[in-house]
Amino acid sequence: MIVFVTPALLMYAAFTAYPVIRTFWNSVHIIRPGGRTEFVGLDHYVELFANDDIFFRAVTNTLTWAGVAPLIDVGVGLLLALCLYARVPFARIFRVAWFTPVLISYVVVAILWMWIYNYDWGVANMLLRSVGLEDWQQTWIGHPDTALWSLIFAHAWKWAGFNMVVCLAAIHALPREVLEAAELDNCGWFHKLVFIIVPMIRPTLVNLLILAFIGKMRVFDLVWIMTGGGPMWSTETVSTYVYKRAFEWNTFDLGYPSTVAAIWFIVVLCCVLGLTWLFRQRDRLEY
Amino acid sequence: MRDTLSTRFLGRTVLLAILALYTCYSAGPFLWIASMSLRTTSEISANAYALPETLHWEKYIEAWTGSNYGTYFWNSTIVVVSAVLALTIIGAMAAHCLARYRFPGNRVVLFVIFSTLIFPPQITIISLFQSLVEYRLYDTLLGLTLVYIAIQLPLTVYILEGFFARIPQDLYDAAKVDGYSHWEIFWKITMPVGMPAIATTVILNFINLWNEFLYAVVLITDESNRTLPLGVQKFMGDQLEDIGMISTGLMIAIVPVIVVYAFFSEKLIQGMTAGAVK
Amino acid sequence: MAVVTLERISKRYPGGDELAVDDVTFTVDDGEFMVLLGPSGCGKSTTLRMVAGLEAVSSGTLAIDGVVMNSVPARDRDIAMVFQSYALYPHMTARDNMAFGLKRRRMPAAERERRVAEVAEMLDLTPYLGRKPHALSGGQRQRVALGRAIVRDPKVFLFDEPLSNLDAALRVSTRNELIKLHQRLGATMIYVTHDQVEAMTMGTRICIMNRGRLVQVGPPLGVYRDPADTFVARFLGNPPMNLMEAAMLDGPTVRVGEATMPLPSRVDPSRLPRTGGRVTFGIRPEDLYEQPPADIAERTAPLPVRVTGIEPLGAETLLLVVPDNTEQEIIARVDRNSTARPGDRVVLGLDTASAHLFDADSGVTLDRH
Repeated sequence: MIVFVTPALLMYAAFTAYPVIRTFWNSVHIIRPGGRTEFVGLDHYVELFANDDIFFRAVTNTLTWAGVAPLIDVGVGLLLALCLYARVPFARIFRVAWFTPVLISYVVVAILWMWIYNYDWGVANMLLRSVGLEDWQQTWIGHPDTALWSLIFAHAWKWAGFNMVVCLAAIHALPREVLEAAELDNCGWFHKLVFIIVPMIRPTLVNLLILAFIGKMRVFDLVWIMTGGGPMWSTETVSTYVYKRAFEWNTFDLGYPSTVAAIWFIVVLCCVLGLTWLFRQRDRLEY
Repeated sequence: MRDTLSTRFLGRTVLLAILALYTCYSAGPFLWIASMSLRTTSEISANAYALPETLHWEKYIEAWTGSNYGTYFWNSTIVVVSAVLALTIIGAMAAHCLARYRFPGNRVVLFVIFSTLIFPPQITIISLFQSLVEYRLYDTLLGLTLVYIAIQLPLTVYILEGFFARIPQDLYDAAKVDGYSHWEIFWKITMPVGMPAIATTVILNFINLWNEFLYAVVLITDESNRTLPLGVQKFMGDQLEDIGMISTGLMIAIVPVIVVYAFFSEKLIQGMTAGAVK
Repeated sequence: MAVVTLERISKRYPGGDELAVDDVTFTVDDGEFMVLLGPSGCGKSTTLRMVAGLEAVSSGTLAIDGVVMNSVPARDRDIAMVFQSYALYPHMTARDNMAFGLKRRRMPAAERERRVAEVAEMLDLTPYLGRKPHALSGGQRQRVALGRAIVRDPKVFLFDEPLSNLDAALRVSTRNELIKLHQRLGATMIYVTHDQVEAMTMGTRICIMNRGRLVQVGPPLGVYRDPADTFVARFLGNPPMNLMEAAMLDGPTVRVGEATMPLPSRVDPSRLPRTGGRVTFGIRPEDLYEQPPADIAERTAPLPVRVTGIEPLGAETLLLVVPDNTEQEIIARVDRNSTARPGDRVVLGLDTASAHLFDADSGVTLDRH
């Protein structure tokens, strides 16, 4: 019987467990091309906490992203799901249409949104011009103040549909009679939402929030193609920073980026545990 | 009577307007790209939002022949199909074992695999790069396939285990009484009965890997080994400011997805959200 | 305190070609306990949900206390409903479940507390007020659902098969509690069930529905005694009324199997088919006797039968018999000391005064109205 689980365990050991351990080993060494390594103890860690401003910039950006975006994603998803739940015509078509961005690769999404944010002929500035708000025009991803928020917005475009579908499924799974009872208890749609629907689909919402959080903590593709972390580190995320330090900069050392990765690994683990504890279901909902 | 007919009508109109607006926001970019893909760059610079006057279908031929799209598609197909196949079998076997057999460490294995779901990819990517270089798997499709199997394995086992654990025990007891071996039970009970969940993981893995970018960009360098996302990025780089041609290139990457989606939309939606719905 | 009037109410679901409720008219009087009874899919729940405002009325007029309610939303109708699944809010305690409707109607907190406490006391729920539904037993959940309706003090109580999720013993005791509750509150109640025992024991009147149509309205025993058609005759009573083919003879008399008997006095002669025509003859199992008691012996007709089976139930015995000259098996409820054995030939006494005649084709009763 154990034979069944062996291939999976071997794959896991070779391509997940071993690399994790090796990353931690890396993090206390300097690793030069050609396999020359040198033990440096906690030097990387000291260097990182003492001198690495870019790392902290990346952490701030990523945490901002991971703090804000899940609320946007899940909030928009929930509102959209409620719209479709209100028995509008063509609900099925809306649902299918809104889900499309989820299936498109980040590379395509990134190029698309680079164009939307284009200063001269992008949709964003074009819309502003057409309503007479020329002054608000921006270079969106070209300016340090707006770049991160522009990326967050583009990222939300891809994921709102996903959250919508999951919320909708959860709402549809609610027992109809409870919602009817709420109606008899003098609830309009807003009160029904606040007092009945949201508390009852809370497990799903928490799940989605944590899922979105994990996703944002590892965000790479979109940033890498749209801004490469710039301008002025304003969109640098931990992922792009690790990649740059490991494969782009000519520092010829895989040890230091491993340190960054190891620390980030611990941060993510703690955050997820913290969130799970914070949102833990105090008791079961049964219906 | 608060809910008179006219306020209800007004409410529905507002609601429909919001839905229409959101649909423009969500689908509009695709239409924009589609129209640009049929126009030349000079036409686009004149007006980025006009509809195509003449349909320049020849741009698609030009984009395809002027690039390595054929190679990219082929590489992506090979890598993704073999990874998904392997994932399905390895994942189903593991899930079957974890869901149906009680052995010491059963829960520990499950917990370890599930907790991997939250690992950020950086924690493995540098050492994977090192290992693949050492074993001469760096910049090979085989190496990428192995890594792809590993990164999707936890989610696959997670979804399948949840489903397999809910298959009625009676079915297994009946099979045991009928003298089935462990292998036969796996192939003749778990796999067929678990088909809906397996279909779900196949879809999920396929889409995720088809779009995968980070591991590919780290582990592949050679032009002849590029997968589609790398190819699209390369295509964009090669075309510089030729917006019209890049649009065509993007459409070549988008269209297959949309076509598959048009036929199997419900299945795809269900598959993609499988990990999140509780 | 309310009168509920349904006038020519119909319901057609979008896409459905048949009417779910077809031209139903009845009135529930103030303080009445009206039971809507019928097999599943007969439209009784849909009717109730239209009264509640959870389904739109397709045509007809629904009024409470003379005010037309067709387009009034559910929450403004001042009704309370107890659902089959109880429909408790899973994330709220029993207390909050009961107080929620009051809170949404902006009742002051003190008054709210008082009412909830009072109702909880009445339903023996006081110790459980702090618990959430998952920590309550089925019977307790049921009482919370009931309490949630009672605290509202609505004009009309609606019940949608509220007992069907309870086990048999609890169902009987809750049934009695509901009867007492109705007597105590004196409120107008409409109660949907498919269980004829509930209908017979609880209702001040029963309203029987079949295939979306209203078949008969009346007090339980009245409906039992004088069923409007063969559907009602078979639906009420366990075992159901025996229905047999019978022929009209001169006299006029009617012939069933080997028995010939005068027409029951309640039959309306003008509606009978002519001599030689066919009718459906109905007799309840308890109106067939092995040894007719002396006081009714003179009005019984002898019915020779062959015994095909016996079901001793303890308090009584059911005989499965086939009357001579017929193929049909009927049931007689006889004394528990019966000595009949399968294969025996016996002559049963048939109480002609309790017999019914129905039209052979439409099944409608031929009794006088």
